Amino acid sequence: MTRELTVIMLTWEFPPRIIGGISPHVYYLSKSLARNNVKVYVVTCDFPGAPQHEIVDGVEVFRIDSYKNPSPDFATWVYLMNVNMQKEAAALVNSLGGKVDVFHAHDWLVANAGIGLKHVFRKPLLVTIHSTEIGRRNGIHFDYERMIHETEAWLTYEAWKVICCSDYMVSHVRWAFGLPEDKVVMIPNGVNAEEYAKTEKDHLSRFRGKFALPEEKIVLFVGRLVYEKGVHVLINAVPKVLEKVKAKFIIVGNGYMKEQLSNLVKNMGLAHKVLFTGFVDDETLRKLQKCADVSVAPSLFEPFGIVALEAMAAKTPVVVSDTGGLSEIVEHDVTGVKVYANNPDSLAWGITRVLLNDAYANRIKTNAYEKVQEKYNWNKIAQRTKAVYEAVLNECSKSVWA
Amino acid sequence: MKVMRVILFSWEYPPRIVGQLADYVKELAVQLVKNNVETYVVTYHDFLTGQRDELEGVKTYRVTNPVRTHIGVLTWVLTLNQEVERAAANIYYNASKQVDLIDAHDWHFIPAAVTLKKALNIPFIYSVESLEDQRSHGADSPFNMAIRSIERLGMHEAEKILAKSEWMRNEVFRIYKVPLEKVKVISPKSTNWMTDVLETYRSVAGGIISK
Repeated sequence: MTRELTVIMLTWEFPPRIIGGISPHVYYLSKSLARNNVKVYVVTCDFPGAPQHEIVDGVEVFRIDSYKNPSPDFATWVYLMNVNMQKEAAALVNSLGGKVDVFHAHDWLVANAGIGLKHVFRKPLLVTIHSTEIGRRNGIHFDYERMIHETEAWLTYEAWKVICCSDYMVSHVRWAFGLPEDKVVMIPNGVNAEEYAKTEKDHLSRFRGKFALPEEKIVLFVGRLVYEKGVHVLINAVPKVLEKVKAKFIIVGNGYMKEQLSNLVKNMGLAHKVLFTGFVDDETLRKLQKCADVSVAPSLFEPFGIVALEAMAAKTPVVVSDTGGLSEIVEHDVTGVKVYANNPDSLAWGITRVLLNDAYANRIKTNAYEKVQEKYNWNKIAQRTKAVYEAVLNECSKSVWA
Repeated sequence: MKVMRVILFSWEYPPRIVGQLADYVKELAVQLVKNNVETYVVTYHDFLTGQRDELEGVKTYRVTNPVRTHIGVLTWVLTLNQEVERAAANIYYNASKQVDLIDAHDWHFIPAAVTLKKALNIPFIYSVESLEDQRSHGADSPFNMAIRSIERLGMHEAEKILAKSEWMRNEVFRIYKVPLEKVKVISPKSTNWMTDVLETYRSVAGGIISK
């Protein structure tokens, strides 16, 4: 296809509005698509201080009034915000003379807008499902959750193709919404290795000194402090690691289990060995990821596992539990260490395996970095996404809507 | 004179009768057909009727809510709007992209009317049967505010607002500060009812005046 492709990206978050993983995902994807000759318009919620219209790295961003009145609940706010988003996106597409090829929605938060636009303009809709209500809540228990679940199902029903970031999510989404195999495409999430290349590890000794003694190895955990992330498993592994090697455990993030976890640490007499930092800014986080001697992801449930990729991009060896998306990212003994989920002995074994063998650690982190460049590279992800757009347009050109 | 093609939006239409609106919209549709207006009705499918039918010349499209579980009328309405858009878009594309006017009755399908205006340049009239302020006796919960915000959007985006009495016209002005000249009173009881409706339709049809 020689003509430039045009896509309208619909997302409830885009930098500087960052709530979760969708915001950086859409940012890097849009930017990389633009570099691959795709014209991208992002329609997203407004944010204090951010302009209503701007061009960011070749991507045109439109920020809509995201409904500021108090709302009865979060889901109702989402549907009301969609009224505005759909209205503004419709006006945008009209102003472009309808010359838009596809609508690309991210999660149920923009379901209504995406579906409505598809029908009024008769252009194909694609969706990336980052997460599901049934997965987040570990089941559907109330009408409120069921309404969101059915909205997600409706979105996947209306979408021409559903993109998921891991094979695990592909099978989860197919199970949750009963989708046919050929409707779901796996395109991995990406990581921007360049961000980590900016800081050299050798220049970080003063920074490192704020967190650990020179003789201590740094074991890093990054994530929300919630049950499914398995931080308690890591804490139970601490004494087993300390039997073999001097180390400091740094836990970055917040969550409802924070108090419980810090009490556990105190009661185990490990307060001097385990440091809770809470939320940290991006720069501090990147520096910590670079300083760490090992990064751990001891999750019990994990749709994708972006933290493992970030550690790999930071050239830090990773130890992950063999579950969900993490299982796919890491190849045992090649690009990292896989351990049994929910098993402190296995986790301690994995951590010491890395910390006590520098040659091994160097080998897996080098392999991991190459893997990140090759597979989780945003440019390649954008090319694969563009190929999906083109395949959909080709199919659409033979449909009754053509 | 060219035949006008009009779509009426109403959340109730016989045999689904919730209040007074259903019978009124039915009578309006039938009279429009008699006056040589090509008339479509997009309404909610109550499972009592087929999805499409054509009675007395009125072409009716009934849509079902794609999300079955809801926590209230507001979420129910908001997910139903995309199906209303789909039905209206199908009418538009099947009719060589020519729909002259949408007449939206009450707030429920205002989001769809606004999207269709912005996307396909179809102007709409907002016909007021009742307002949230009256239905909820001025209650100010986030729920009422949300419905009022949809009514306000409709008042703002509509080419014309039709009230059924002078009292309602004043209510529209009192609550939404709409310029009075935008609000026209046409009483269903008046002998000029259909003549006035047609005249208003013709004044709006085929062009978006406001920005």
